[in-house]
Amino acid sequence: MNGALPGGDTLFEHAACALVVTGADGVILGANATACTWLGYGEEELVGKVRMRDLLPVGARLFYHTHCQPILEVQGSVAEIQVNLVNRGKERLPVLINIARRQADGASFDHWALFKAADRHAYERELLAARKAAEAALEARREAETRLQAANARLSAADRRKDEFLATLSHELRNPLAPMRSALDVLTFKLGNSAEPRLIQAFDRQLRHLTRLVDDLMEVSRITQGRMQLSRATVELTALVRSAAHDLAPMMAAARHTLHVHVADGPVLVDGDATRLAQVVLNLLANAAKYTPDGGTIELHLACVPGMAEIRVRDNGIGIPTAALATVFDMFSQLEPALDRAKGGLGIGLALVRGIVELHGGTVGAASEGPGRGSEFTVRLPLAMGAACPAAPEQDDTPPASVRILVVDDNQDAAETLTMALAMFGCETRTVHTAGAALDIVAAFRPDVALLDIGLPDMNGYELARRLRQAPGGTAMKLIAITGWGQQKDREQAQAAGFDHHMTKPIELGKLRDLLATEFPGR
Amino acid sequence: MSVQIRNNVHVAGNGSATMVFAHGFGCDQTMWRFLAPAFAERFRTISFDLVGSGRSDLSAYDRDKYGTLHGYADDLLEILDAFATGPVVFVGHSVSTMIGLLATIKAPERFVAQVMVGPSPCYINDGDYVGGFSREDIGELLETMDANYLGWSSSLAPAIMGAPGRPELRAELTDSFCRNDPEIAKHFARVTFLSDHRADLPHSTVPALILQCSDDLVAPLEVGRYLHRHLPNSTLHVIDNVGHCPHMSAPTESSRVIEGFLARTLR
Repeated sequence: MNGALPGGDTLFEHAACALVVTGADGVILGANATACTWLGYGEEELVGKVRMRDLLPVGARLFYHTHCQPILEVQGSVAEIQVNLVNRGKERLPVLINIARRQADGASFDHWALFKAADRHAYERELLAARKAAEAALEARREAETRLQAANARLSAADRRKDEFLATLSHELRNPLAPMRSALDVLTFKLGNSAEPRLIQAFDRQLRHLTRLVDDLMEVSRITQGRMQLSRATVELTALVRSAAHDLAPMMAAARHTLHVHVADGPVLVDGDATRLAQVVLNLLANAAKYTPDGGTIELHLACVPGMAEIRVRDNGIGIPTAALATVFDMFSQLEPALDRAKGGLGIGLALVRGIVELHGGTVGAASEGPGRGSEFTVRLPLAMGAACPAAPEQDDTPPASVRILVVDDNQDAAETLTMALAMFGCETRTVHTAGAALDIVAAFRPDVALLDIGLPDMNGYELARRLRQAPGGTAMKLIAITGWGQQKDREQAQAAGFDHHMTKPIELGKLRDLLATEFPGR
Repeated sequence: MSVQIRNNVHVAGNGSATMVFAHGFGCDQTMWRFLAPAFAERFRTISFDLVGSGRSDLSAYDRDKYGTLHGYADDLLEILDAFATGPVVFVGHSVSTMIGLLATIKAPERFVAQVMVGPSPCYINDGDYVGGFSREDIGELLETMDANYLGWSSSLAPAIMGAPGRPELRAELTDSFCRNDPEIAKHFARVTFLSDHRADLPHSTVPALILQCSDDLVAPLEVGRYLHRHLPNSTLHVIDNVGHCPHMSAPTESSRVIEGFLARTLR
């Protein structure tokens, strides 16, 4: 052996690890100098007196018994057990322990090698702390998610109870309405004109209103509870849309709204429930009428775009704030304080529209350029299986046909040219030059439209308009004022006199034709 | 799922009666290798791994079910239904002694005897009761487990050995013994060392042998004496042994004591 190398004893005594031998009972039988130094005991204090497990803190001791000992019994060795040792100064020494079990002379001995592991220990503690922090964060998130789920479940349950409540409420409210209706009918019949008609009418109007609210509520409940059944059939929309426009004419007239109806050439066929789809159009029109100040303009369009029927209702009313566009179809959105509540209502009309449209596999959207700038609602419904949009007509200028028009103008030339033009459009015309002649002819001719010059020799056009309204069929007649002045004052005066439209001389025939096409679509 | 796969059940031996061996905390059925063969000549022997330990089906580990020892007791009864014949002698080590105790309360008719190796009904000191540990000690145990599972764990072992595609090799790795899934082991440690079954003791009437080591840190002598006082039909035998695993370190002596007990009890 090279003399520069330490002898075996030195190597053992001062090895870079602590070496300890114990007997089967764990009592230390020998320890090198490194072990004594680390542990702070003299060898004589350890040997035969101390057991290695006594140097372990309680938790590590437990681990030793439940883990290391069985492994030693089965495998004869354990490796890299990481524990703290407690030395004489009560300091904790992080160490890695390897133990090998050896047999000698029928007895068994455990050879322990202990390596300092302070750095590793610190590093692993950091890893552990990081893992624990991550686990705690994960746990916190799980708990938050659980709470969120519970909150959602509670909300869903509340929502379900609300739906159930509304269904029951609407049903219960409906029950007393039928006998009230019958009673009112009986009263009307019995009392006839002897009763105060205005009271009866008010009662009747309010009862209808209440009935409609309750019906809407019930139908929305049916949709939210998935109980609405559609009676599906192939539905032709052009007729349906026109019919809906017709039904709402009184409401439009009451608010002095002008309703323009633009309907594509039929047939536009969808697969759906005609009653429900009519309800969609009626609700959209009623909504437009309601949220447009009196004297507004409302447009109803039906178009056929590839694969889809498109119904649009546009008004120039109060509009919708951008923020409210997203929720306008939600139930009770009317209760949002941001919206004008002056009009009242439950805000379920549009919810019903969306519900019905979605049941038909369609979509509905709302657009508005903002408050005071009108609104536009667009419903798209898939065309019926196998249906397609009708081919576009060769020319767009199909003239309105068989509209009866009375022209009243004391300017004979003007009257004649106008009459010729109207005849060219296919209208049936009568021309007179005085108000008196007009009133004479109106009962027999029953015109759909009367074009009145305002400056007549025997009576001004406003007065004539009022009288024509009194004549048979006068309320349905479209009255168009023709004046030389197109000022706002003139329009207002014409409107006040009961004119439906106002045109300025010289009349643009194209405009007149468009107006007639709108008022009498398809004729 | 089959009980066999769930609990990695192994049946050996021949006999009209059955001996079932349940291992203690931290290890697996391998710990019975020095003791069980001695009984295989006269008994049908069943050994198994508790769910979450050894080579049981780890996916069956349900923290709720195994949040108390009752979950394990139910498993034990299912194992007996599937594999036991004739009268059953239960042999449990450490925590499994309480699992067996709960099973004997649930189905006393299934058992003729219970052998408790190093039992403890409660590890934590409580007033006059000496369990041997404080709550802080158990916290320190969990910390020590953490420190030792960080470096190596059962999940790393196959990869380290470089034979993930050859599970039969893993089966031969003796050093997989006592290496359990760290998270499960920690949960099991909590359930084990925080359990308190002192109140159950009077309800188990199946004859019991309490096999106590003379020097056992985990289950001190006082605990053995306490058990003997409160278990109605029990025998206490203190075996001269240092440590918690006499069935491993003193198997001959252990089996002799068990044989004697069985001879007296089953005669």
